[in-house]
Amino acid sequence: MLLESVEYARPDTVEQALTLLSQREGAAPLAGGQSLVNVLKHRVASVELLVDISRIDELRRIEARSDGGLEIGACVTYDELDGSDAVRASHPLLADVAGHIEDQQIRDRGTIGGNCCLSDPTNNLPPLLVALDATMNIRSRSGGVRQVAAEDFFHGYFSTAVGEGELLCSITVPPLPSPGGAGYSTVSLGADSKALARAAALVRGNGVIEDARVVLACFSAAPMRHHGMEAALRGAPATAEAVAAAAAGIGDGLDPPGDVHASTDYRRALAPVVARRAVCQAIGNGGDERG
Amino acid sequence: MVDAATTHAIEYTINGERQQATVPARRLLVHHIRDTLGMKGTHIGCDTGSCGACSVIVDGRLVKSCMMLAAQADGTAIETVEGLAPDGALTPLQQAFNEQHGLQCGYCTPGLLMAASFLLRRNPNPSEAEIRRAIRGNICRCTGYVNIVRSIEAAAGPAASERAA
Ligand SMILES: Cc1cc2nc3c(=O)[nH]c(=O)nc-3n(C[C@H](O)[C@H](O)[C@H](O)COP(=O)(O)OP(=O)(O)OC[C@H]3O[C@@H](n4cnc5c(N)ncnc54)[C@H](O)[C@@H]3O)c2cc1C
Ligand code: FES
Ligand code: FES
Repeated sequence: MLLESVEYARPDTVEQALTLLSQREGAAPLAGGQSLVNVLKHRVASVELLVDISRIDELRRIEARSDGGLEIGACVTYDELDGSDAVRASHPLLADVAGHIEDQQIRDRGTIGGNCCLSDPTNNLPPLLVALDATMNIRSRSGGVRQVAAEDFFHGYFSTAVGEGELLCSITVPPLPSPGGAGYSTVSLGADSKALARAAALVRGNGVIEDARVVLACFSAAPMRHHGMEAALRGAPATAEAVAAAAAGIGDGLDPPGDVHASTDYRRALAPVVARRAVCQAIGNGGDERG
Repeated sequence: MVDAATTHAIEYTINGERQQATVPARRLLVHHIRDTLGMKGTHIGCDTGSCGACSVIVDGRLVKSCMMLAAQADGTAIETVEGLAPDGALTPLQQAFNEQHGLQCGYCTPGLLMAASFLLRRNPNPSEAEIRRAIRGNICRCTGYVNIVRSIEAAAGPAASERAA
């Protein structure tokens, strides 16, 4: 397909990228291009300048932090997350989730930053990063680094805390609670494909659940924590029965969209299923490993 | 390429051969390969990143060339299906597709050969499940995949070493 006429620049540094983005109206960062190139083909948004950030060295690093957490550059690809020893060592679930996004070709180009900035409610990484309580590090030309909790970052499709002229530069993922764990579960159209309902969870405690974060995706424009289920889990024994009891009925209060693949009622019925599986995986008690 | 422009001079290798070109920024890599270089082995199926017919290997990574700009190929090493058998002698993988009937109409075949080549480099001895996962991004409307999987199995691991011996 023929794209509309567009300019292209490939800066070497974040500074140069921010200069290009702030000087020009209609400038957009190009990361893996696995969504943006389709947007350009369909001419649904007009972009005048593509600022290719995909090869900027400082956006391509994965750093294992001394606290046991990770700092991940925005342009690290899914395949690199999947293959990273550092990610596998501290956050194996993040590596597994990235390793099951769609297909090899998309994993070889798609980036963690692009996945977050596209902010499609069906995207794999946003709910996991909210559950893991990640911090999004955003830079602008004038303002230095702005840190936004993942929980406050996602607003809806193409809408995030990243403003005009800004770049998401890296994502800080804190260490997993110890004792504790993370879980993730998806009901999708087919293996590794578009999600109909998804949940991610983080649990602290061993034997008894001390604290839990339960995040649902595909139920609203952005990933949402289910504070009711979190409260019901707090202090509960770490058993599949207790988790099922905490998950029961959580779909009732939700108003998810309905579409050709899943009606509103079907999505409501899926909410306790994915939430239960994600939390059970987090407490090491069954559940759906990768979803 | 720090400066913004609507055309860019790029340099890359394609199947080992050095090339220079001036490309409009809006040109997709797949069009550059097919229309400028005249290498028609790389196919266009969907043009939306869904079918994998346009798969090529860029700097050792499997990519869909309809989802990348030609300007982004600057400084890279590109491999296309034409590069698999430069002297006309089929690779064991291509041979296996032939012997195991891994194709019918052949439209998906170039993309599948690139996806399978990528897999066998990374994992010379894949299981059936690993093969199926590796070709997840390549749609075939004819074969039902069974013979494609058989072809890749036949070209993999011990079978391939035996053949080479
Ligand atoms: C056939 C197909 C199926 C797919 N299935 C899935 C799926 O099941 N799950 C899933 O999660 N994804 C899926 N995707 C989407 C894919 O993962 C995209 O790669 C991803 O959503 C966007 O990442 P990207 O790096 O390609 O970003 P791009 O396409 O380059 O950019 C996306 C948007 O984010 C902006 N942006 C990118 N990086 C930054 C940054 N660092 N700072 C500020 N803004 C930025 C861009 O300007 C653009 O608006 C699919 C894509 C295709 C083509
Ligand atoms: S033509 Fe590129 S993926 Fe279908
Ligand atoms: S052989 Fe016809 S599409 Fe695969």
